[in-house]
Amino acid sequence: MRSLLNFLARYNNLIIFLILEGIGIYLLTTGNSYHNTRILKSVRNLTQGIEQKVRNTRNYLNLKDINAALAGENIALKNSIERLVKGENSLFFSVTDSIHKQQYLHTSAEVISNSVNKQKNFFTVNKGTTQGIRTDMAVISGNGIAGVVVGCSENYSVAMSLLNLDFKLSARIKSNGYFGSLSWDGRDYRLAILSEIPQHVAVNVGDTIETTGYSAIFPEGVLIGTVSEYEKYGGDFYKITVSLNTDFRKLHFIDIIGNMKKTEQLQLEKLFQ
Amino acid sequence: MINSILRFGLIFILLILSQVLLFNNIQFSGYINPYVYVMFILLLPVEIPAWLLLLLSFGTGLIMDFFSGSPGMHSSATVFAGFARPYILRIISPRDGYEPHVEPSMVIYGFRWFLIYTLLVVLVHHTILFYLEVFRVTDFFRTLLRIILSSVFSITFILLVEFYRKGK
Repeated sequence: MRSLLNFLARYNNLIIFLILEGIGIYLLTTGNSYHNTRILKSVRNLTQGIEQKVRNTRNYLNLKDINAALAGENIALKNSIERLVKGENSLFFSVTDSIHKQQYLHTSAEVISNSVNKQKNFFTVNKGTTQGIRTDMAVISGNGIAGVVVGCSENYSVAMSLLNLDFKLSARIKSNGYFGSLSWDGRDYRLAILSEIPQHVAVNVGDTIETTGYSAIFPEGVLIGTVSEYEKYGGDFYKITVSLNTDFRKLHFIDIIGNMKKTEQLQLEKLFQ
Repeated sequence: MINSILRFGLIFILLILSQVLLFNNIQFSGYINPYVYVMFILLLPVEIPAWLLLLLSFGTGLIMDFFSGSPGMHSSATVFAGFARPYILRIISPRDGYEPHVEPSMVIYGFRWFLIYTLLVVLVHHTILFYLEVFRVTDFFRTLLRIILSSVFSITFILLVEFYRKGK
């Protein structure tokens, strides 16, 4: 017993160090579900309050830019409504059941904290489960994709940004439909890498890259960016650098998109795996 | 005693706020992310008990974690830096040893000593932090470059603040 106490007294600092470092590593390794850790959740509320205040100030200073962006988006939406209404009228429908047609549900939200300078970036938005946000919903900004919701509390959600080493997305070249896997390499917040495009495919600088909709998270055809350069990589594939359309430094107003038929698709796909 | 608690509380709040509001928003080409809040660990008195140093380091890291939404990353790094600090101080101790009841500062021990001290602690902290952030070995040398560039920035800032304090 005495030798044990001696041992503890002699190495107490090492022991405290190991315990604290252990807590740190434990938090880190279970980190991807940090919104589930209760302590963090309660303190997060406090820091989110501060972040919201900072965000409000910044928003106020940027109101002019935001207004212009929203006006532009409005016009685009009006145009697409116009097209849709026309298309609808030209078809012969006796019963129009809108429920079965709508696959994606849009919710607009505001980003209250965001980062682009880490290797694993996340951003927080000001809507949560009460507003119908669930995990695995897609997040797009006005002009391109932004990320995927990974966790929700009642009034806030945390989304994994495209600028995250763990983020993977199925994307295709719009002109010819060949698809590959899009990820971020941690270097520049304006560039992402599209890989797995075979070398016989014609790729040009400036080609549009969009989502495929295979993942059941992102709708088909959402803009990602344009090809800024490409090189042969390994024997068979291209490594295509995509310049992203979304400016992650200015992420303010975003759209959260829920796929209403996701469970149906996933269940069906599960049957064949 | 109470005086110094208040003093370090104020330093702590200032450093955390400048980190969260200013330095977390700095980005040059994805390579430079200065983390200056580590200065708090640098400034604590030399004769502070090791357990208190560890707890304070852990607390600092934890608060940074809350603000950056990265549980465990900053706390692991700061605890390691706090653990390493006594050893670093022992290695670079001045010839006459440390004076009691003063904090390690440029005014007392000189520029060269303070530079080496800052360099070692910041490097230890940044190395742990950046490798934990990436958590993979594939980009080993790129991460190393990020560590070096970011450390240069953090150290420059810390030295500037220290010069300012010296000037006063």
